[in-house]
Amino acid sequence: MARVNLINKLFASGPLILLYYLSISELDTNLEKLFEVFSLNLQIIIIYFWIIKRPSLMGPGHIFLAGLINDVVMGFPLGISSLSYLVVCFVGNYVRNKSVNTTIASDWFTFLIALLFANLLFFSLLNNFSEVAISYTKIGYNTFFTLFLFPVFWLLFNVYQMSFIGAQDA
Amino acid sequence: MSVSRDDFSIAFRSALLQRGATQKFSIFSLIIVALVVFFLDVYGFTVVKTARSFINDVVYRITYLASAPTRLFPGINQGLASHFNLKKENEELRRVIERYKAQDLNLEYISNENKNLKKVLDTEDVQSVSNVVLAKVLVDRNSPFLKSIIINKGSKKGIIKGMPVTQNKYLVGRIVETNYLSSRVLLLNDLNSRIPVTFDEKSTQAILTGGGTRKPSLTYLPEDYQFIEDITVFASGKDGIFNAGTPIGKTTENGEVKLFVDPNQLSFVTVNLIKPSKEVF
Repeated sequence: MARVNLINKLFASGPLILLYYLSISELDTNLEKLFEVFSLNLQIIIIYFWIIKRPSLMGPGHIFLAGLINDVVMGFPLGISSLSYLVVCFVGNYVRNKSVNTTIASDWFTFLIALLFANLLFFSLLNNFSEVAISYTKIGYNTFFTLFLFPVFWLLFNVYQMSFIGAQDA
Repeated sequence: MSVSRDDFSIAFRSALLQRGATQKFSIFSLIIVALVVFFLDVYGFTVVKTARSFINDVVYRITYLASAPTRLFPGINQGLASHFNLKKENEELRRVIERYKAQDLNLEYISNENKNLKKVLDTEDVQSVSNVVLAKVLVDRNSPFLKSIIINKGSKKGIIKGMPVTQNKYLVGRIVETNYLSSRVLLLNDLNSRIPVTFDEKSTQAILTGGGTRKPSLTYLPEDYQFIEDITVFASGKDGIFNAGTPIGKTTENGEVKLFVDPNQLSFVTVNLIKPSKEVF
């Protein structure tokens, strides 16, 4: 019984482990060697999906810490990724409070709002308070691919949730 | 109408302030903390700088360990990329063979180039590279926005901001952040990278500007300059940071520079311990 409990806990921690791993490791979702313009912000998709579906698995403290780690590894000013992730978390929380039942289409639409707010904050802070220059074209591609691939990851995470965590939404 | 406004404010407040059963912090409090951390870091207070330097050293080491599984399968990504590039590579190899056949014709041109570079070296105030540090690349995370790598040597070995970084004597980038045990190297193809360069037999001066793409481009060229393919580009040393004559890459016909060192394939680099006239970046 204790073993089953431990396995369940491990499965439930899966999204959080993935979030931390993506932030701290060299693993990136930027396949520019194959397709130069392709880049994706998988962390934001993970945060948004799990905040909407299972907020208990994705505490804001963890999201804040993952953002800090991401800033250190990527060389951004400390706290900027945390802010952007927390904005996604806030929009997700708000949507969850306001909606009774969500579908892939409604999640996709609200994800667009979360993504726009998060990126707007991220790049306006970077532009105004940091010396780091960033290409707006790259930002555009990154936002587009993150939004475009959201339904794919929504389905994958949904399958994971159904298979390993439980079908019931929060 | 007022009911819907109430609904909005309740949902808004709840999203910001509510904490779950197992959650210790609300989003609002964490946003405030993140803002404070951000401004402390941006305005560079000494305490924060020291703390960040320590955090960087620890996190880079953990990143290196955490990335071990991805290093076990390095061939997968390269294999896929080489498969897609096979045809292109074949064509390129054919061109290289043709080029080698015509090498005799190029001899005169190369000696001219050499003469010009010697002139550059004579006129510039060159600081000799008496001391170099070999460093291992700890983290090479391919960010869509910043092109940089982390190396395992820092201020402990005398590395300071602005020092040039090379591999096999080819320029790779420069140091932009130093910690006690690690440093960050800004690569030549990063959007923030600007290097004064010289090339061709007329010793044309230009700025090599990174664009976040694989190949940086040449800017601030003389008016009506016609690009010639396959000319070697060297650092001019006019910034007092890079050694004049350090090779960087070859020109392409559209004004870009194909770097001698692939920024995605770095494992060991050399930091030249030349003290820049002032700390840069």
